[in-house]
Amino acid sequence: MKFSKSFALSLVCAAILSGCGGDDGKDGTNGAQGDAGKDGVSVFVTTSDVVNTNAQHAYAVYSDSLLAAKALKAQLEVFVAAPTNENFTKAKEAWLDAREPYGESEVYRFREGPIDNLTKNDAGDWILEPEAGPEGAINAWPLAEAFIDYTIDMDGAQNPESIASISVGGNIISNLEEFPVINKEVLKSSFGGLNEAQDEANVTSGYHAIEFLLWGQDLNEDGTYTANRDYSAGYRKASDYYTVENDFEGKVGTCTSGEAGSDNALCIRRGQYLIAAADLLIDDLQAVTNAWAPGSGFHYNEFTKAENAKTSLAKILEGMGRLSYGELAGERMSIALRTDSQEDEHSCFSDNTHRDIYLDAKGIQNAFLGSYTRDTGENLQGASIYDLLVVEGHPELANKLRSALELTMAKAAVIDTNAKMGTSFDLQIQLNEFKPAVTETIKALQFQTDVINEAITALEVTTSDLKQDTEEFGG
Amino acid sequence: MKKHIVTLCILSSVFISACGGSGSSSDNSDNSNNNGNTDTNGGGTTVVLPGQPKDGLAPISAHTPDKNEHLSGGEVSTNVFNQDAFSQSAKVIQSDFELEGVFKAGDQLFRTLHDGQGPLFNNATCQGCHIKDGRGEVPRNPSMPMTSMFLRISDDKGTPDIIYGDQIQTFGTVADHNEGALPKYNGALNEGLAYGEAYAFVEYEVINGQFNDGEAYQLRKPIYKVKDLSYGDFNDSVRLSPRVSPSVFGSGLLHAIPEDYITSYADPDDINNDGISGRAVYVDEPISNENKLARFGYKAVTASVLQQISGAYRGDMGVTNIVAQEEPCTSMQAACINKAEQEKDDRENGLDLSKLSLAQVEFYNRLLAVPQRRGYNAQTNTWNADVLTGRELFHQAQCISCHVPRHKTGQAEGSLLGDAGLLDISDTSTPIAALSEQVIYPYTDLLLHDMGGHCPEITREDDEGNSCLSGSQCYWVQKCEGLADDRPEGSATGTEWKTPALWGLGLVQTVNPNATFLHDGRARTITEAILWHDGEAKAAKQNFVALSKAERTQLLTFLESL
Repeated sequence: MKFSKSFALSLVCAAILSGCGGDDGKDGTNGAQGDAGKDGVSVFVTTSDVVNTNAQHAYAVYSDSLLAAKALKAQLEVFVAAPTNENFTKAKEAWLDAREPYGESEVYRFREGPIDNLTKNDAGDWILEPEAGPEGAINAWPLAEAFIDYTIDMDGAQNPESIASISVGGNIISNLEEFPVINKEVLKSSFGGLNEAQDEANVTSGYHAIEFLLWGQDLNEDGTYTANRDYSAGYRKASDYYTVENDFEGKVGTCTSGEAGSDNALCIRRGQYLIAAADLLIDDLQAVTNAWAPGSGFHYNEFTKAENAKTSLAKILEGMGRLSYGELAGERMSIALRTDSQEDEHSCFSDNTHRDIYLDAKGIQNAFLGSYTRDTGENLQGASIYDLLVVEGHPELANKLRSALELTMAKAAVIDTNAKMGTSFDLQIQLNEFKPAVTETIKALQFQTDVINEAITALEVTTSDLKQDTEEFGG
Repeated sequence: MKKHIVTLCILSSVFISACGGSGSSSDNSDNSNNNGNTDTNGGGTTVVLPGQPKDGLAPISAHTPDKNEHLSGGEVSTNVFNQDAFSQSAKVIQSDFELEGVFKAGDQLFRTLHDGQGPLFNNATCQGCHIKDGRGEVPRNPSMPMTSMFLRISDDKGTPDIIYGDQIQTFGTVADHNEGALPKYNGALNEGLAYGEAYAFVEYEVINGQFNDGEAYQLRKPIYKVKDLSYGDFNDSVRLSPRVSPSVFGSGLLHAIPEDYITSYADPDDINNDGISGRAVYVDEPISNENKLARFGYKAVTASVLQQISGAYRGDMGVTNIVAQEEPCTSMQAACINKAEQEKDDRENGLDLSKLSLAQVEFYNRLLAVPQRRGYNAQTNTWNADVLTGRELFHQAQCISCHVPRHKTGQAEGSLLGDAGLLDISDTSTPIAALSEQVIYPYTDLLLHDMGGHCPEITREDDEGNSCLSGSQCYWVQKCEGLADDRPEGSATGTEWKTPALWGLGLVQTVNPNATFLHDGRARTITEAILWHDGEAKAAKQNFVALSKAERTQLLTFLESL
């Protein structure tokens, strides 16, 4: 009962954010004095409320990701059955659509949650085990594209991630001997490194595998692959999927593998790979979504237990901080900027990296504001860390963090806009006039991390809360 | 009950020295004999025999593990035990967002390709050799080139080969050879192109032996062959030493052990008469220009993680950096030099790798965590019985004379390059608290030991095994007895090797199922690795051979739990 009341109040609060500090312009800077908790000031928001909101939104963002992945698979099936240019475009659009909710879900990483740790134990029950989760299979990069399908390489020094890892028979699609069947089980085991020595670069499943199979390498328009890139994304042709079986428009048996005259079997297997990768992606997302299902999800129930409130809040903030700094500012942006390397660009085949950056940052802001807009447009608004900071007596810090996150969004929006105007992220890290927007976003992320640290201190969620939790897994 | 233990552990992490250290803390009073900081001199004469550690810790018990012995890396331990077990950051930096940012930047660089790489190289990325931060592997057959192992080369005095330098790089940089140009007999000489230097491969002979209880075993004795020399013949007294890339986690902790703690185990003249010497050697450290204990490399040739990785960047990948500025070409390799001049060195001062990148990769290597022990139940604070018995056997068999179980780190100095951020590097050098004052269990003394064996001179044979003198079909063949490579390196002789750390041993093949053991990967199992021990370790090996089947299994259960 208490919960639903405070939840409703915080809704009001978040809806009129500017009201949460007081000044409505009529009654002086302090605003009209109201009874505590009765005029929109979120005095009832508790740690548990914030945790509950965060858990409910986890379900929403993962189920959106799941639904979009299913829509993607449906579109892939249409395309494989009839690989027209129109269906090809629709398949690519479905992939881009699928990335939108998933990007906003990434703030649920780096906090010992299902995405990083979900696995089955020997008894077949879902459990959390450190780093045993499906994240790598879903979203790992850089991809081992040369292990999946044909590629060409830059002259000279550019090489596959690990020469040792390319199996004797070549890539999976062309290696009928070692991989006679391509289905999700095969992709799953080839990712797990059961048969091959896998270094981290040998990613063969997930969003980026599908991306590669739709776009191909991000070559130049003339088909070359040079250090000086042009504006085009990958340019795989629909004819890479022409088969005798999917005979349409009279293009019987004209399978290509980049070049014309390829074996019909390769185009069939490429289509099978596409569907298998989508199947595996759906399975993995389904498992994560189930774990977060309000009421039935084992992790949802654990995470929202009253006695775990403080630990769960610590996890929320840890995920926000670690995604901001190490993953986004550090691994994904600063290295790409400094090495000027496509290999270090997240969605390099589709040139969609600007969305990865923007949506990751957006997810962090969502976690702070207790808000999430579903793919349907429905706006979920719950108890926020902003509210909690105000209630706990840190209104200035609440505002400081709000403004830090907003600044990051504004700067990430410049990257996003520049890309949409035609300068993809791989060019932004190469051209001097665009680099500042990238650098500015990195710095904004660094600053927001500092403020997140302040919030961690202010809310008295110490890292030992987290340690305690991980220690329990250690036995 | 669960909570109680957890609280204790947090307590002990606050008073770090209490974790297997100081007896002054009350929380381990129940166990003070194992953890106490007792004065071992007892007030009498202070003749310090080798093996009397200066780390201030009470002698380790053969019977009862230390209270926190399951935390092999102290606070820099991880509870991830799957194929990513060697790739984890220390937990203490996961909650420090900025340090984790530097770690992750270093991780990404460890995996990625670098501009200016080559012309000669063994692999294009760090991770390509140190597979998932663990060991490299021996190619499955002679037709597959070595990609995560290579051969060191010199003359019989250990002087680098005048043409090939000190390492054979399998790959070169030639147009249209997109995965790296394999060696081609006289290719660089005849065509002027930077082919890989030479193609090395291994064949094995089976050695049969048996344990004292009659159970048979087989070992693989390696025969190394080299062909397709692109740049001309090797020197007349050529020596070769095959090396599989070692795992890299925990190196920051090893780096942080004070020199005198390590040298307290040294006994070069065997004055305690236990048949085991243990020799400390020293090397000049770049940048600081100080002469320091050499503790990294299979033969103890580098003093620091930075020195080790900067050498690897240059030698293994052809990526020049502030510490190792020369391209991996000798003055006799014109094709290599020509190709190097075409490189686009736009990173920093004509070098392939910036100082910041090098510092980030150094930080990454230093902070990679060590897997906690398996076979220990933190909830009940109990060890698996076989692990305990095996541990006792390990002590009794004198394995610990070289594989010293426990060390304590001192203050871990910051990077000589400065403190790395995401976008820039500062002139300050902040000590790394996470690595400092940790009680750790690496199972090494980091000293050189004579491991026995010898090598006849390298011969020339054709693929039928007939003697030959020259030509493309005339291979260079090395057949050594035992572990010796007969190739002096640094201050180490041709039979000396540095004791490798054993932590993480039981997860080596979880991380890389194709990984094998020992410096050249000849041992398929831990048992085989033990059986190759000779020289100073002969007695310990014989102790192992004399164990019953059940005892051997217990010993291995212990080793697998590391």
